Amino acid sequence: MAEKKQGRLTKVLDYLKHDDPFSKGVAFCPGCGLELLLRFIPRVLGNDIVITGTPSCSAPVLLGQNNQSWHTLSYFGTLMTGAAANATGLVRYYRKAGIDNTVVCFNGDGTANDIGFGNLSGAAERNEPFIYICYDNEGYMNTGIQKSGTTPFGATTTTTPYGTVHRGKNLRRMNLGLKMAMNKIPYTATATLSDLEDLAKKLLKAKEAKERGFCFLHVFAPCPTGWGADPADTIEICRRAVKSNYFPLWEAENGRIRMTKTVKKPKPVDTYTKLMKKFNHMTEADMKILQDDVEYEYCLLGGLSVLEAECQLPVSVKDQGEAS
Amino acid sequence: MNTTETPSRIKVITGNAAAAIAAKLARPDVVAAYPITPQTEVIEQISTFHASGEMDCELITVEGENSAMNAVMAASLAGGRVFTASSSWGLVFMYDAVLAVAGARAPVVMVNVNRETPGIIAVSSGQQDMISTRDAGWIFLIAEDCQEVLDLVLQAYRLAEDYDIQLPVMVHYDGFFLSYLSEGVDIPEQETVDRFLSVLETQPKRTVLHPGEKLGVGSHGILGGYMELRHKHVTAMERSKAKFEEIDKEFSGIFGRSYGGQLEEYRTDDADIVLVGSGSMCGTIKSVIDDQREKGVRIGLVKIRMYRPFPHKALVAALKGKKAVGVVDRSLAFGFDGGPIYTELKAFETRMDGAQLVSFIDGIANTDITKTNVDKMIQMTRDLADGKDVPEVTWVSYPEANTKGEK
Repeated sequence: MAEKKQGRLTKVLDYLKHDDPFSKGVAFCPGCGLELLLRFIPRVLGNDIVITGTPSCSAPVLLGQNNQSWHTLSYFGTLMTGAAANATGLVRYYRKAGIDNTVVCFNGDGTANDIGFGNLSGAAERNEPFIYICYDNEGYMNTGIQKSGTTPFGATTTTTPYGTVHRGKNLRRMNLGLKMAMNKIPYTATATLSDLEDLAKKLLKAKEAKERGFCFLHVFAPCPTGWGADPADTIEICRRAVKSNYFPLWEAENGRIRMTKTVKKPKPVDTYTKLMKKFNHMTEADMKILQDDVEYEYCLLGGLSVLEAECQLPVSVKDQGEAS
Repeated sequence: MNTTETPSRIKVITGNAAAAIAAKLARPDVVAAYPITPQTEVIEQISTFHASGEMDCELITVEGENSAMNAVMAASLAGGRVFTASSSWGLVFMYDAVLAVAGARAPVVMVNVNRETPGIIAVSSGQQDMISTRDAGWIFLIAEDCQEVLDLVLQAYRLAEDYDIQLPVMVHYDGFFLSYLSEGVDIPEQETVDRFLSVLETQPKRTVLHPGEKLGVGSHGILGGYMELRHKHVTAMERSKAKFEEIDKEFSGIFGRSYGGQLEEYRTDDADIVLVGSGSMCGTIKSVIDDQREKGVRIGLVKIRMYRPFPHKALVAALKGKKAVGVVDRSLAFGFDGGPIYTELKAFETRMDGAQLVSFIDGIANTDITKTNVDKMIQMTRDLADGKDVPEVTWVSYPEANTKGEK
């Protein structure tokens, strides 16, 4: 009976060709988006990847606690400041030594968008041959829910609390995926956990594209603990983020953007925000600011996807790579 | 210095060029670096070698020093031989990774071209960058001249990658004074360097990070094991002292140049008084010592070549029984009445059978440590030996510091 109902799911299962290298029970919060993503990656890409991670929510599981990691992958615990540079060092040595490799540089938004953005940008410029995956939970969750550059307008965090003068973050979030796509790297994509087939395809595309250079995946990964959401709602939050265009799904090859999922009638952004407490305090006027921002960003993205499809890909971009 | 015949050629090159040539001769797998005055020429030279195919390495032209250190750390832990170079602010900007490299026991070799760090205007020589990072857990070596820059980089690879050591090594040399000074340097043949470094290939293989292996680097939140790792680090540092002496002897047999290991002693055997120095100042000091010796002054020099781990046993052995010892620092230690190396040496004064110590601060921010200045230091150290009243610390080129009544 499951077979009939699970048609879509079995499609996803086709992509899970490898074992889950993680322990059955790990030290993540219930409903953690990061955990789902972390288990998914090696099941699609294989267990022979080298994964790097920083001090973050992923650290206890990925890097191990008291000498024991919770998985059987080859891994490297990096500093937040130098994550992409560490991955660079690995792939450059492997290339020199002729060792086949798929290095996955796995970091939160704090590392990717904020403190480690310089070296992420440098790796993109040099077109380093590895896959950088950012799990975006919109803040510094491991240190206790602080604001990051991808925290959205209005959201409360412990450094943008609700007060009588200031009410949540009074700045818009940065669009990390778009920033990276504009570097014209071989492959950039956004993905999330409600659309696993899309995520699996993008992982495989990245694995193939990293033979030509740098790949970046921006994955929306809710944090029920930090956002004040029901752990059972993680997937629904992702789904509504996509359906409201709060987190659109697209990919870009050499910077040419293509939507991988188009929402015909986007839902209002409050269908998404009402699933969590971090936006609870927002007035109608506040919500309008967020709604307008989501629409504006989507409009820009749509414009880019139309414009760039018409642009002739230069030979230099097809063949890019640091001389060595 | 011995003069064993080996195939070689002498070229007039700068200290920076000597560092770059040494790096090339060591055949690193991965080089990552970022430009900074006065180090820039090192990476320019390496880039030229790379562009012409003389150097077959992965060259990573990073977007900042922090990435340079992170990249070479990972490449080293993956099994590669690596090289980077920096100075002053660059060293500070990579400092979190400098600490991580030490903790991971990655055998990274780098040169640091000493430059002042206080204030952005301090584009000048001084050892404050070295002093500010001295307990990062790296082995610190200091070169006196351009030849020693080249030789120390080669020795650094033997030390860093030795199976019993496995520690990062930083070779320091004075910015401006050595970085841009051109002098004759004996550049060894590639095959001679290959022979010197080939010993490493006969040793057991260190653990490396390769794809598909159930192995990780950088565990998070180690409790009991952390103390053990730190203690192992300390003992490996201690082992490096004797290992460095061995390497220097072997180097001498192959290249015909010997420096003495942790310290170089110059005319100390029958000396009553001794100056302790490091880096490029030592050439001037040696020259003044020769002059003074002709006048019958029994003076010698102890040159610190290995600064971390601190070679206290070798220093005590060299200074024991001397009447007075003047320690020359090119940097500051706040809250102490004297320079940093003086302060560290002071802890061992009671083991020196009555040798008295006095501190000289000079050579800060490109100030020349002139022959006249060295003469002054020697005179004051002699006065101390003669029982006269000598201030504990003297800023040799800045007499105002000594007369204002400030400590």
